[in-house]
Amino acid sequence: MELAYVVVIILLSLGMYTIITKKNLIKIVMGFTILESSLILLLILVSYKPGGAAPILDKPYEIVVDPIPQALALTAIVIGASVTAVMLAVVIKIYKRYGTLNVDELRKLRG
Amino acid sequence: MEAAVWLIILPLLTAFFIGISKLYFKKILAPLVTGSAIIYLYLLILVINHSYPPKVYNVGAWGLMGINLMVDPFSAMFLLMIAILFLPVIIFSVKYIKSHKHKYFIFTYLMTAGIAGMVLTADLFNLYVFLEVSSLSSCALVALKNTNKGIEGTFKYLIMSTLGSFFILLATILTYSLTGTLNMAEISLEFKDIPFQIKSTLMSFFVFGYVIKIGLIPLHAWIPDTYEDSPIPYNVLSSGLVMKSAVYALIKVLYIIFGIDFLDQSGMLHIGVFWGVITFIVAHLLAYQQSNLSRLLAYSSVAQIAYITIGLFVGTEGGLIAGNFHILNHAIMKGTLFLVTAIFYYSLSAVKIEDIKGLGYKFPILSFIFVVASLAIVGLPPFNGFISKWLIVEAAIESGFVYAGFFILVGTFLSLTYYLKVIVTLYTKTEKELLIVKPTLSLRLPTIFLGSLCILFGIVPSIPLSLINKIPKFLLDNGEYIRILLGG
Repeated sequence: MELAYVVVIILLSLGMYTIITKKNLIKIVMGFTILESSLILLLILVSYKPGGAAPILDKPYEIVVDPIPQALALTAIVIGASVTAVMLAVVIKIYKRYGTLNVDELRKLRG
Repeated sequence: MEAAVWLIILPLLTAFFIGISKLYFKKILAPLVTGSAIIYLYLLILVINHSYPPKVYNVGAWGLMGINLMVDPFSAMFLLMIAILFLPVIIFSVKYIKSHKHKYFIFTYLMTAGIAGMVLTADLFNLYVFLEVSSLSSCALVALKNTNKGIEGTFKYLIMSTLGSFFILLATILTYSLTGTLNMAEISLEFKDIPFQIKSTLMSFFVFGYVIKIGLIPLHAWIPDTYEDSPIPYNVLSSGLVMKSAVYALIKVLYIIFGIDFLDQSGMLHIGVFWGVITFIVAHLLAYQQSNLSRLLAYSSVAQIAYITIGLFVGTEGGLIAGNFHILNHAIMKGTLFLVTAIFYYSLSAVKIEDIKGLGYKFPILSFIFVVASLAIVGLPPFNGFISKWLIVEAAIESGFVYAGFFILVGTFLSLTYYLKVIVTLYTKTEKELLIVKPTLSLRLPTIFLGSLCILFGIVPSIPLSLINKIPKFLLDNGEYIRILLGG
């Protein structure tokens, strides 16, 4: 259980590190995807109970997993996917205009 | 039928029908968007009229388990702002936007749906979803002109706004794991038993996330880039509604969930006022160096948002009234300035400040409105900006932030310098023959309407203040919110 939280923290720092240090635009977008997935993992962990049943209440049950964070995780996945799509669309446009994906060279081209 | 629900559904439906109309009948676009905006205005007025006493709408008859919409005085003020800005901007855009017309209107309506949702919802995760709806469509609008600067601005905007959303979502998830609910009133009840340190950490996540979207220094760098080469009518909605809706969300989260007592204990009020003072001084200095008119107005927007922050973070009744009044006034004044700029761009593609030389004699009425709005934004009587700025200074000094009051006066002089620069250029005679496309009535009328509101709210401030006066009681005591939402 604690190990999973450590994974969340590792993913979060990895995403932040990628966004801050990498110069390639595609890699920056990848960093955001990693950040997004760390949050989704956190959402699932929040609701997880060891040995919990699926939240369908027609059978006899003892422990039920909280369904709300799972619904939220679905929404977060959709939002994350659309943000990534818009970012990649913009990156394609930048590449078509400048012929490079390096942030430093883009700054030089602007002058 | 519950009108508040339709405030979110109608723009979404309209965006959908605009998409269909592009496929089958293209000529219907102008009547479709104008008609929808007029119906929207009617709905807004209906909801604002019935906003007091505050009302809760249960969507889908789930009671407290579902998502609730709530119309309170604070959100009614924002609805009033949408009502003032939205129809003029749509009428203006029908004539002004020439390429990608359908896309422009689809995204504008989606953005409005997001903002209306943010303003009305009483659910923390729903707030995040609507925030994403409005900021993603706003990103798409920045890129609409398909120029190099526009695309770069969009990428910066996307990076910053996604980073902000990330922190907001993180804080929302942690709040849920602590309290087990997303309803703002229930969270606020549960939060009374949570230790001080955990609450402070959560608050810093929320504040950092929203402040990126608001654009206080040093997180402001994306704002001028997004304003520089985007469709100018969109800038009116962006500075008037998109940035303000982030202010709304921040204030609602801080005052309703955390409560004024916690803000006072944790020192957030002092941080907010200090941050605001730093921001507007730096923004005024940066604005002075700009030669591009849109960039100048963008930096001025950053500064005005800082004034609003000061007003709202003073944490007294007067401060909240002043801050809210300035939110409304800034939307009107900046809207007027951007619309006049848009007409200059439309008539002779003026982008730089020197391009508008001598236009004061070609467009006497529009230039007069530009002067009125810029003097109002500087804060000279008898315009509306003077009253709200005066109230902010008064509230700051009354609650002990004397340095804030002093620096607001200094900032007024700083802003006077660069607005005077523009006004002087506007009325400098020039030998050059200017090729001018005459602006039509549908461009001039919305501009004149917003400009006259600057004067009207300056002379009779009691019209908007009668609505705004109800806000502080509601925000300063979150027990009121809890009682209405859980008991009603």
